[in-house]
Amino acid sequence: MLDKIIKTLILTVSLLFCLSGGVSAADVVELNQLVENAEAMDGQTVTVTGEAIGEAMERGDHAWVNINDGTNAMGIWMPLDDAQRIKFFGDYKHIGDQLQVTGVFNQACAQHGGDVDIHSNSITVIEAGYVTEESVSSPKIIIGFVLVFLASVLGFIYLKIIKKSDG
Amino acid sequence: MNTFKGRFYSIFIISYYTGFVVLGIALLMVLPILTAVALQEWNPFWDFVITMAISVILGLLLIIIGKQTRLNKSFVQWKHGFVVASLSWIILMFLCAIPYLLSGHVNSLLDACFDVMSGFTTTGMVLTQDLDHISLSLNMWRHMLTFIGGQGMVVLALTFLLKETGGAYIFYVGEAKDIDLVPNVKGTARIIWKISMVYLLIGTAALWIDGMTIGLTPLSAFFNGLFIFASSWSTGGFAPYTQNMMYYHSFSYESLTIIFFILGSLNFGLHYAILSGNKKELIKNIETQSFFITSFLASVLAVLWLARTGVYNDAIAIFRRVVYNVLSAHTTTGFGSVYARQFALEWGDFGILILVIVMLIGGSACSTAGGFKGLRVGIIFKSILADVKRLLASERKVKVFRFHHIKDQILADGLVKASGLIIICYLITFAIGTLIGTFCGYPLASAAFESASITGNVGLSIGITATGMPAVMKVYYIIAMYLGRLEFLSVFALIGFIIGGIKKCWTK
Repeated sequence: MLDKIIKTLILTVSLLFCLSGGVSAADVVELNQLVENAEAMDGQTVTVTGEAIGEAMERGDHAWVNINDGTNAMGIWMPLDDAQRIKFFGDYKHIGDQLQVTGVFNQACAQHGGDVDIHSNSITVIEAGYVTEESVSSPKIIIGFVLVFLASVLGFIYLKIIKKSDG
Repeated sequence: MNTFKGRFYSIFIISYYTGFVVLGIALLMVLPILTAVALQEWNPFWDFVITMAISVILGLLLIIIGKQTRLNKSFVQWKHGFVVASLSWIILMFLCAIPYLLSGHVNSLLDACFDVMSGFTTTGMVLTQDLDHISLSLNMWRHMLTFIGGQGMVVLALTFLLKETGGAYIFYVGEAKDIDLVPNVKGTARIIWKISMVYLLIGTAALWIDGMTIGLTPLSAFFNGLFIFASSWSTGGFAPYTQNMMYYHSFSYESLTIIFFILGSLNFGLHYAILSGNKKELIKNIETQSFFITSFLASVLAVLWLARTGVYNDAIAIFRRVVYNVLSAHTTTGFGSVYARQFALEWGDFGILILVIVMLIGGSACSTAGGFKGLRVGIIFKSILADVKRLLASERKVKVFRFHHIKDQILADGLVKASGLIIICYLITFAIGTLIGTFCGYPLASAAFESASITGNVGLSIGITATGMPAVMKVYYIIAMYLGRLEFLSVFALIGFIIGGIKKCWTK
């Protein structure tokens, strides 16, 4: 009986050990969950994913990279080398690299003036960003031209009327 | 010479001046159009071309309808000034919402109107989605709206577009900017704009340089500097990214914004007095005294309260996360250095109450700030003191009480009454907002926080303002922002005018 229990325990522990080797989707925490449970999560190592937005702000041998996962956005404090591996940052013309960040979450970071941030341990680019193609629809251009034409005609009429009323 | 015919001549006057305001704002769309061309953002380019053309058409039509006014300018009355101001704001809200709608970053026309009104009134609440991916030209437009709204767009359009501005003071007061720096209104408006433009140059340059030192690229630092200055000076609270001030992770950047939003929340008369060499005005003025006392007390109380929670453990963190937000709320700026939900989760009822009070008080009269203003708080406080002194003094003694605001002024009963009425109007608007919030299922503290932020044109959110909030709240918030910014009188004049017009039609 004891033998069975020991075997089961060893198997369970081994399984847990194997499963914790990679990060599954369930382990990824949403940024908004961190904000909502900041007190409980403070100081814990968390894994988050999100699109790198704006740009990397270099501060000595580290940099700030803000990520947005659709629920919220948060600053990641990372080594400069990691920041330089990010090729695309999200803005009007780009979809930024999708990052997976594992690091320590701070409810009020003592190093950064009470910032809510994550100090990264590892960064992985899980999906490369890209340049978005901008195309303007033809109806928009046609409507634009028609309205500009109408505004010009009305401007001409206005000048005629005003001149007449002043005269 | 009176060439007006019929009983409805007021409509022509209002149409004429409103047309110029619409035309003025249409011309300002050149700036985002140029930005779009420079940065090759072609969708926003066409969005702004379409909006500008529609605005020009509407503006010209209104001027043509009211063209008789050109010969009858002496007929312009106070009611016209108030109605033009309030009506222009409504028309412009719809027109300026067009680029938002066409951008695809808002879920509905209501959301677009909400954001435009939030910009005009320098509130800074946001319903625009995915801010991190909007174009620089739309960002330029958002921040322009808040900058122009802060200085007074009706005044801007009328002073710069009309050659003759006889009676323009009427429009000035209509937009809650009743101050006379120099004898003529055109001169006063130009001084206000000159002061703002000088600060715009200095502020943008300072934030640009600081932006580069904190790691932004030169071009990005310039645009961020320009946008953040526009928001700070106009006590608006818009920022180009979702995280608002938290995007920059910089004490120096935050410190610069504190300087600019405090400067923006001060009376233009005070700026003019100081720039004219009267430096003592800064200490003697009832508004600066009032602002210093209330902001100091609120900061101390908030710091003491939050020190108990132990979230922030050092002085810098307390300054950046507590004092910053108190000052941002008091000046009605609305820049946030914490997440909206942190107010609800970490600040506690006392912290929220402190913010509610300072948000309702707001900044100075005739500044870019909202709230019921430090001047009115000072006047009411002085009148209470005066009444107590009167009670204690001999009945035979008649004492005149004074206060100092740009010049020594008598504390007249009429002034006290007017101040009291405006404060009551603000409190009623705040109470209704809180009531609606709680009715829609939000906790009392959260509903009160959001309502105070909206009524005082602040922009800090506790998490209620979101695309998913009930439409009735969005509509009420738009009305409250509008009422708060125009300080009620103009809107009441518009309502009275409409009711009067209906009565006239009825009795005809």
